[in-house]
Amino acid sequence: MSITSITGMRRTGTGLAVVGLLGMMFVYWLAFFWVSTEASQGVSQRIFYVHVPAAWTTFFAFGLCALTSAMYLWLRDERLDRAAVAAAEGGMIFGTIMLTTGPLWGRIAWGTYWTWEPRLTLTLLLWFIFLGYFMVRSSTENPEKGKRFAAVVAIVGALDIPFIHVSVLWFRSLHPQPVVVRPEDGPALPGDMLTLLLTSLAAFTVLFLGLFMLRYALEGLRRELDVRARAAA
Amino acid sequence: MSLYLSQIRVIVWKDLLLEFRTRERIVAMGAFAVLSGVLFNYSLDTARVAPQDVAAGLIWMTLVFGGLLGVGRTFYLEAQDGAMQGVLMSPAPKDAVYLGKTLANFTLLFPVALLVLGVFWLFFGLDLGSSPGMLVLALALGSLGFVALSTLFAAVSSGTHMGETLLPILVFPLLVPMVIYGAGATGRIMVGRPVEEVTGNIQMLAAFALITLAAGAVLFRFVVED
Amino acid sequence: MEATRSVIEARGLVREYGPVVAVDGVDLVLDEGEFLVIFGPNGAGKSSLLGMLGGALRPTHGTVSIRGTPLDFSDGDWRRRVGVLSHKGFLYAHLTAEENLRFYGRLFGLRDLDERIPERLARVGLTNRARFEVRQLSHGMRQRLALARALLHDPDLVLLDEPYTGLDPSAASVLRDVLRELRDGHRTVVMVTHNLTEGLKLATRVAIQVAGRLAWEGPTTEVDRDTFDTFYHEVVEG
Repeated sequence: MSITSITGMRRTGTGLAVVGLLGMMFVYWLAFFWVSTEASQGVSQRIFYVHVPAAWTTFFAFGLCALTSAMYLWLRDERLDRAAVAAAEGGMIFGTIMLTTGPLWGRIAWGTYWTWEPRLTLTLLLWFIFLGYFMVRSSTENPEKGKRFAAVVAIVGALDIPFIHVSVLWFRSLHPQPVVVRPEDGPALPGDMLTLLLTSLAAFTVLFLGLFMLRYALEGLRRELDVRARAAA
Repeated sequence: MSLYLSQIRVIVWKDLLLEFRTRERIVAMGAFAVLSGVLFNYSLDTARVAPQDVAAGLIWMTLVFGGLLGVGRTFYLEAQDGAMQGVLMSPAPKDAVYLGKTLANFTLLFPVALLVLGVFWLFFGLDLGSSPGMLVLALALGSLGFVALSTLFAAVSSGTHMGETLLPILVFPLLVPMVIYGAGATGRIMVGRPVEEVTGNIQMLAAFALITLAAGAVLFRFVVED
Repeated sequence: MEATRSVIEARGLVREYGPVVAVDGVDLVLDEGEFLVIFGPNGAGKSSLLGMLGGALRPTHGTVSIRGTPLDFSDGDWRRRVGVLSHKGFLYAHLTAEENLRFYGRLFGLRDLDERIPERLARVGLTNRARFEVRQLSHGMRQRLALARALLHDPDLVLLDEPYTGLDPSAASVLRDVLRELRDGHRTVVMVTHNLTEGLKLATRVAIQVAGRLAWEGPTTEVDRDTFDTFYHEVVEG
């Protein structure tokens, strides 16, 4: 990858990230001051507009990682692996944010740190799959092997996620827990809430894409550095 | 086709023969099963918790931990004299190698699963409920999905510095469905629920086993290539 | 005149392990019946080169073809045509000599194992040890068994990686006999060794590998056996 295209990518990535951050701040403001309060759950429901998009972005990142990993194993193009690791890092960041703010907010709003809410649980498990991804990547002697191992982890994870999702939901249906955030999302929501949710999702996605591109460019620079160091040696 | 099957068969034969000669893994897993029962007995306050109520979960967790103990070493003997390379350089397809290893591991793990069930039945005076046959089927399908996943990831972890210690991190998140459906089915049966309530779980366990086997067969070659 | 299709053809072989370049661009063509011996110091990349020729290692760049078929590192029938002997035995310590051969024989799809195995064991002088577990055999016996294993399926191409290492005289003598048979039987062989004397006795072609490249390569007729020792050191140091 040429330096100019990497620089271009960095610029775009930075731009997107800034837009995303601004968008998020806007969303936070809207979530606190603009949107109407939900009838049954009250003010504590507002975390919904941050929580749900954060979860969606984490899952999207994982899906991207798994897809590029599968293509990497098939086509062996380095760039696909770079995309996979960039997506994985982005996903892990958003996942970490969601997992740290979630329980804190839960404590403040409802008095408990952790309930086995399906979305939170799934994010937790996904976070650990990401962890496995990175651990396996960095603990091999031959770095090429590490990339292949990581790709396998991502692919198996992606195949398992539907099972995990279904099984966790089923489990929860048997063991009702205090309802903390109603999973109702989508068109059933009244107008302003839906607008805010979608805006929030857009902001998160833009931010993720910005971070993704920055990370992808960074990885490209690293590889370039490696190649030049070797040529000089 | 018959060559393919005979290649799988000879790998199963070789693994079981080796296990028979060394007896390392089967003894470790068997001892683990029994000793876990003992430790559980002392860790539960049976005045307040009826073992019958929690046995399903304990059985499956014992199976998971003990299973990792045994399956984690599945490529150990192979690594010793570079025998794995010899196998990989043979005309045997990589998926045949994977299926052979997985089948051999299942042959070792499933009896251990039954042992765990038997040990807990013995130690805690469990009532095995209306259809023990279903219990056995659940354990069989769960064991199959388990070995499918852990054989693949044992190959991964044995290629890293961390070795078997990496295995739980990789495998535990992926085992959530198996534990949920397996322990769920077991619990229901032990409480005496009718078999119809459990068929959904059994189907999910079967689907899980099938998908993990297929994924392992396809992905194994990427793990072992060099 | 019928063109002999080369048994093995390698073009531009490169093998990298992360930043380390073990093999740095090797071209090689071997016709049927040739016995190539590759000499070279430690770390020259000989084992990696051999690994790529035998389909154990995937080249980072370059191609290998066996009898015109490019090696596809996913499974192929071509693996039937290659036999490898390395200082790793590829043997299972807790299985008997006979069981080891039976295992590999089945993997290679051989049918006549009941006849073939005793015959091969006899060839390497291990008939009396057929029922012994490999861990009960001496190093020399293990190497003999490994040799029998490598040749069990009568491969077209035989690859040997430092086969003389650590052999006692009787095992070395068995090895010498078998290798001579291979050469006289026009099997194609590539052998990597430190042992200049033994190597030269058997070779029809000689190569010297230094730092990942073949610094010298040519038929044995161009080699002066008396001065080869000096020549070898010149090439390696120069």
